[in-house]
Amino acid sequence: MKKLLLIIFLLTLIAACLVGSTAINPFAASPVERDILFSLRLPRVLFSAVIGAMLGLSGSVYQLTLKNPLADSFTTGAASSSALGAVLAIAFGLPVALVPVAALATGLVGLLTVYRLSKTNGVINPVTMILAGVVMNIVASSVISFAKYFFEDSLSSIVFWLMGGFFVVDWGKLLLCAAVLLIAYLLFAAKALQLNMLALDEYSAQSLGVNVDRLRSLAFVVATALVAVAVSYTGIIGFVGLIVPHVARSLFGSDMQQNLSYSALLGALLLVVADAVSRTIIPGGAELPVGIITALLGGIFFLYLLQTRRERLWHG
Amino acid sequence: MAELWVDKLSFARGDFKLRIDQLQIRPGEKVAILGENGSGKSTLLQLLCGLLPCGGEIRYDNRPLAQIPVVQRARLFSLLPQFSELIFPFSVAEVVLFGRFPHAIGNSFSDADRQLSEQQLQQLDLLPLRERQFNELSGGEKRRVMLARVLNQQAPIIYLDEPNASLDIRHTLEIFELLGGRRETVIAPVHDINLAEQFFDRFLLLKQGRLLADVSHAHLTPELLTETYDVQVTGGTAAFTFTRR
Repeated sequence: MKKLLLIIFLLTLIAACLVGSTAINPFAASPVERDILFSLRLPRVLFSAVIGAMLGLSGSVYQLTLKNPLADSFTTGAASSSALGAVLAIAFGLPVALVPVAALATGLVGLLTVYRLSKTNGVINPVTMILAGVVMNIVASSVISFAKYFFEDSLSSIVFWLMGGFFVVDWGKLLLCAAVLLIAYLLFAAKALQLNMLALDEYSAQSLGVNVDRLRSLAFVVATALVAVAVSYTGIIGFVGLIVPHVARSLFGSDMQQNLSYSALLGALLLVVADAVSRTIIPGGAELPVGIITALLGGIFFLYLLQTRRERLWHG
Repeated sequence: MAELWVDKLSFARGDFKLRIDQLQIRPGEKVAILGENGSGKSTLLQLLCGLLPCGGEIRYDNRPLAQIPVVQRARLFSLLPQFSELIFPFSVAEVVLFGRFPHAIGNSFSDADRQLSEQQLQQLDLLPLRERQFNELSGGEKRRVMLARVLNQQAPIIYLDEPNASLDIRHTLEIFELLGGRRETVIAPVHDINLAEQFFDRFLLLKQGRLLADVSHAHLTPELLTETYDVQVTGGTAAFTFTRR
């Protein structure tokens, strides 16, 4: 199963490089097509894979540390509050390198606000968390929209920030995102066994020797860093982190030593496919923001989870 | 083995206050905590585990609890909370193996950890369930799995919050006999007083956050239980009869 998944992923990467407004035959590519393939398509496909892996990994960690199967960067408000920080940093003319840092700062503020609102007497209420996340999304989106009107020239289109997309890709951004992904993955993988203990109630985890507050703080910062960097370069791409950890769990079990890597891999696979669809679905070469595809898939999956886990969600 | 001392322990949450002036529990003792709902039994357990902030001092082997790192605490005592759920599906075997976490080296469990887990599964009659998902089990089965996890921790002090909650009478008797025969200290709030009297050798009686009495078998009298529970108690020696006053 693991080998099969890897083969499917590699074949998908290759296929995604070949499809687009113009389909490219790799065995009979003209010099122009070769240039498109290596200068445009390849970095874009790799970029979508890295961003998908970042969102999948963050979703896996959010769902466990927040004890909520509906949690991901979008439903917790972390993505929209990160986008808000990025938008404000650009609008106020901060250096480009500081944009992800500003996104991380506001992303953490947003996530912690949602976390505090949903925790009562040491217990996180999943329904309150989703409601607080929805409110955070509304507030952040409205401020982003306001900023767009106010700083018309300096900001990218509102569609980019709210629906996401891979409109501008370069190797520098790709390498930075890959480095952040690698560091985050190694940090989480080193704590995989501890993270497993968080599947238990907090008292049990603590009595097993896990410093729950410290582990959760680390997880929040690192997972939100993944989201903040991703959002800074691609806008808000929702629901990837919601869907893939569940698929990984159903295929390979809940053990975080497996779930971290497979959530990242499946996140990469999902976003590569979604991006390929967004590049080909509209005839004539027009491009759809990739967030529309993931939101459609994620929304349906969200409803499925609500239906199957309604009882447990409602009672916490 | 570890000895537990409590000195001027105090805790307050809203209107509820808990205070215990002094308490010493020696290695190997089997201590039942008795008291009506809301008397502070579970809170006392959580305080002894360092899970809630409190005044006074709790010491294990003369070492203040506050100075013991969380990782080391897990080798001193284990805890079975009143309610245990898992957010995501794990098998029974995986959950029992979690109990070896304080002993795991690096980021994985050793073969010895896995062998000990198998023994715990066998001891608690859980081998037929080992591949089942924990979240699909009945309440009593989940309780036994969590108990196996706690025993798998091999800590010298075991805190069990109502260990027989949801258990049928056969498994209740099996587990109490198992606990009674172990060398570890067992400290457990228990609601069935006759069972407690049968299997425990010391009784802490709590009333409204106060330690009303700390007695052995011989001194667990109907009068004391009457005062603790506000019901009429008659009989004695594992045959108390309770009627509303």
